[in-house]
Amino acid sequence: MKVKDLMSTVVEFATPTTSAKDAAHQMHETHVGALPVVDDEKVVGMITDRDICCKVIATGHSAGRTPLDEIMSKDVATCFEDDDIGEATSLMVDKHVRRLVVVNHDNKLVGLLSIDDLARGSHDMASSILEASAQLH
Amino acid sequence: MKVQEIMSTNVETVMPNVSLRAAARKLSNFNVGALPVVDDGKLLGIITDRDVSVYAIAIGRDPQNTEVQTVMTKNVITCYEDQNITEAAQIMEAHNIRRLTVLNRNDEIAGFLTVDDLAPVSHELAGAVLQAVTPLH
Repeated sequence: MKVKDLMSTVVEFATPTTSAKDAAHQMHETHVGALPVVDDEKVVGMITDRDICCKVIATGHSAGRTPLDEIMSKDVATCFEDDDIGEATSLMVDKHVRRLVVVNHDNKLVGLLSIDDLARGSHDMASSILEASAQLH
Repeated sequence: MKVQEIMSTNVETVMPNVSLRAAARKLSNFNVGALPVVDDGKLLGIITDRDVSVYAIAIGRDPQNTEVQTVMTKNVITCYEDQNITEAAQIMEAHNIRRLTVLNRNDEIAGFLTVDDLAPVSHELAGAVLQAVTPLH
């Protein structure tokens, strides 16, 4: 089975200059917890609802005046849409992440693959990722 | 297997009248995604990293001047610590959630049971819970 068989293809995204406030509105309206951050058609980061909690709300910064560039994760775990889901699972286990950005061979964003998506294909693969990240703490 | 054998017992709580900013600091400092809201030993609700960031911003609340009780989830889904983990997983599936607040038979908070706790003992139960929840990317 390939990544593209399980990934979510409707992908909302933000840009590095989008404010944390606008990103929060976007996450709320589209019922997502993470947005890829895209600049000039390349994925340059990832922002989650937890990033906004810990790096904006907890620190007392203004959500309207904080661009995503300042708070996003820049080390984004990425796979190709035609990768085997076993490879994608290994990548998530190794990097201790629960979602991957999926790109095509032009490096353009085509989807996201989360453990929830993986669970539809294999309970074992999804659970092995949870076990790997649990060992961190 | 009983819930109490695999649940996390180290649960931080928060008072209903603290600010969203204070709750965000606690969520960040203790590296947790949710806090039970407790007053005088009574469980009043749950507040998550998403509630204090995405939800609060979406409804236009100032994090410094908004109390936890205005944005918390009041209908808390619970199970008992002496219930079987299969029953607990079924409760999670039925409510599309990946975290359960665990009570003892005096209805006091005993811990949290998450899909991460289920994975090491049963890939099937953890996978089924993941598959049931609405994907939150």
